[in-house]
Amino acid sequence: MNEKLSQFHTAILIYMIQTGVYVFSFTQIEAKYFGTNGWLVMIPVSILVSLNIYEMYWVYRLGNGQSIFDILEKSIPKFILAPFYMILSTIWALIGCLVAKQYVLIFQMFAFPTTNPMVFKIAIDILAFILLTKGLYNISKASTIFFWCTIWLSFLLLYFVGDFRTERLTPYIFKESYNMTEGFFQIYLAYMGYELCLLLFPYTDKKTRLFRAVIHGHLLRSVSYIILGLVSFGVVGYDMLKVMMFPSLDLLAYIKLPFMERIENLFYGFFLFTTLITLVLYFWAAGESTRRIFPKIKLNVQYFVIILAALLISYIPTVLDTIREWILILGYFQIGFSYIMPLILILLLLWQRRKKAV
Amino acid sequence: MLKKFISWLLLVCIIPLSGCGDQRILESLGFIQTVSYDILPDGKLSISFSIPQADPETTANREVLSAVAASSKEATMKVSRETGMMVVSGQLRNVLFGQSMAEHGLHGHLDTLFRDPSISSQVKVSVVEGNAGELLIEDYKQHPRTGRYIDMLLEKEALGQTIPKVTLFIFARDYFDEGTDPVAPILKKHADNYITTNGIALFKDDRYVTKIEPQNALVFAFLKGSFREGQISLELADTGGDKEIVMFSSLISSRKVKVVHGTEGIEKVTYHVKVTGSVLEYIGDARLSNDRERHELEQRISKELTKKANAMISLMKQHQLDNIGIGKYVRNSVGYKQWKQMNWREELEKLPVECSFEVKIKDYGKFR
Repeated sequence: MNEKLSQFHTAILIYMIQTGVYVFSFTQIEAKYFGTNGWLVMIPVSILVSLNIYEMYWVYRLGNGQSIFDILEKSIPKFILAPFYMILSTIWALIGCLVAKQYVLIFQMFAFPTTNPMVFKIAIDILAFILLTKGLYNISKASTIFFWCTIWLSFLLLYFVGDFRTERLTPYIFKESYNMTEGFFQIYLAYMGYELCLLLFPYTDKKTRLFRAVIHGHLLRSVSYIILGLVSFGVVGYDMLKVMMFPSLDLLAYIKLPFMERIENLFYGFFLFTTLITLVLYFWAAGESTRRIFPKIKLNVQYFVIILAALLISYIPTVLDTIREWILILGYFQIGFSYIMPLILILLLLWQRRKKAV
Repeated sequence: MLKKFISWLLLVCIIPLSGCGDQRILESLGFIQTVSYDILPDGKLSISFSIPQADPETTANREVLSAVAASSKEATMKVSRETGMMVVSGQLRNVLFGQSMAEHGLHGHLDTLFRDPSISSQVKVSVVEGNAGELLIEDYKQHPRTGRYIDMLLEKEALGQTIPKVTLFIFARDYFDEGTDPVAPILKKHADNYITTNGIALFKDDRYVTKIEPQNALVFAFLKGSFREGQISLELADTGGDKEIVMFSSLISSRKVKVVHGTEGIEKVTYHVKVTGSVLEYIGDARLSNDRERHELEQRISKELTKKANAMISLMKQHQLDNIGIGKYVRNSVGYKQWKQMNWREELEKLPVECSFEVKIKDYGKFR
């Protein structure tokens, strides 16, 4: 792929990877773990993510935009790296497929509850596969189109202006919180997806200004999370948020047109777009990793195998809560990856530079 | 090319196939429009469903089904045995609770309604004075579909503030909020074959405790929040023997709540309500075109409203109810610890609440 990513497309791409099914439930987590005014926690978490992005920026700068795999392979023998790559691609493929399955199961609460969820899952996987075969540049273009298909939903929040009460927010901050550390990690997961920017290095050039794009995408996501959180706490109140499963969906249900009721079920379909980009990018990342181990096998074949393997594994969890637990565990791995990996890379780069100088 | 073709073929096959699994054919569905709950002496529930009929071959406008069961879902299963249609609740608009049921507590049943994702959180909740099932089963001659009749009645009356607009979501929100108690509109079946709204039910947590009479419903709305649109008819205390009646409409009201702190904690809570409106009916001696006399009338209206509001608040205090949400303001004005230590209901009973009204007559119609 010769074409490089554009700055705008990259920003949108990052935003879209970060946006997933978590949008439906994160306010419940804010209320459950942080209690009153829990929406505020999004701000420190967002700053922390920005710092992490800054850490990754140094990898980009020190390595002059080399692929992270190149950096690793220069100093570490391949037989050590191969299993590591394998683990990475397994985690990424699993995240991708579980996110899709979670979407399907939530969707099925509202429509087609008795159809086999795997039918939908397979349909989504086929879409993902077709998109994957087009390459990253085209995925980023598609994600921009999907972005315009979904961003207008944010304007629906204006609908709640009349029902927003500051009294409901209460003046207390994080009272009735419980196990804030665990909550902090769970909220952090809402932002996950940005770490894939580590893999974008070879697909960018100077003109992309990759990290400016990543920060812009991340800021857009943060602002949107914070506003949605504020509205949820002001319209629903934290007492009730705690007991709701998908508060954002219930907020959507508030919207009623004179000629049509229950339009939230239609809106829900739009979230397929954001979910699709999330899973496509994780599958893509898995492919980036496996192609290093099997450089001779055609990339599309690798994608096919990855999606198929992930699909088979996703048969195992059938309960929404189990999937959530799995995603949590994988997400923690991913948080670890996003902090430790750039650190290792920076150290390697410094070491390589020193060796060169000597 | 071949690969592309195969992927498309797969997609084309799979998407329609997923439609075969879970069929919902409009004609064979019975959309529950209204459901009513009553509690029987043995603790079981008597539940009735009203389902509009779409079949062009029947003359009936709707199908009414009833069952006695331990839970709502069990009743749905029972009644579906009595009908050829598949009973679904995706288009439910109204839930009616009989008075005895409301007095018994609603929480468990609201839980069912809230849990089911096919039921919208925008379903309206009302309490029926007497038996809810009887009200729903009855056919009202001038209103062919009872369910729709109830729905339109509630919708329209809520616009004029004579009853609050209460949906499942709003009821649950007030229930979970520590600083406020839920309310619901009251419906009543009249012997002369019609339904009327009959005031506002005040709940303590999920139990119906007492009600506000329909003629005072607007005063409740003044205290509950700011609104536009509404009308109230007031009979003012006689000024020298003659009766004075004023009809105050196109109301715009805004409310300010203040918590006054003294040396020993909270001293009092003050409600200041500003009301502007037009006088469209006036029976009395004052000349409305005279500034001084009109201002005096404004004073008298304020006094009357204040009196009614104070009576309403003492009624709530006496039952330890906080349906206008005083608790929210108190909570926000004291520290978190103090609020948690406070037994709000007992505190409320002792807390002085003062109301004051500021009434402005914007215009008085076409006649001087």
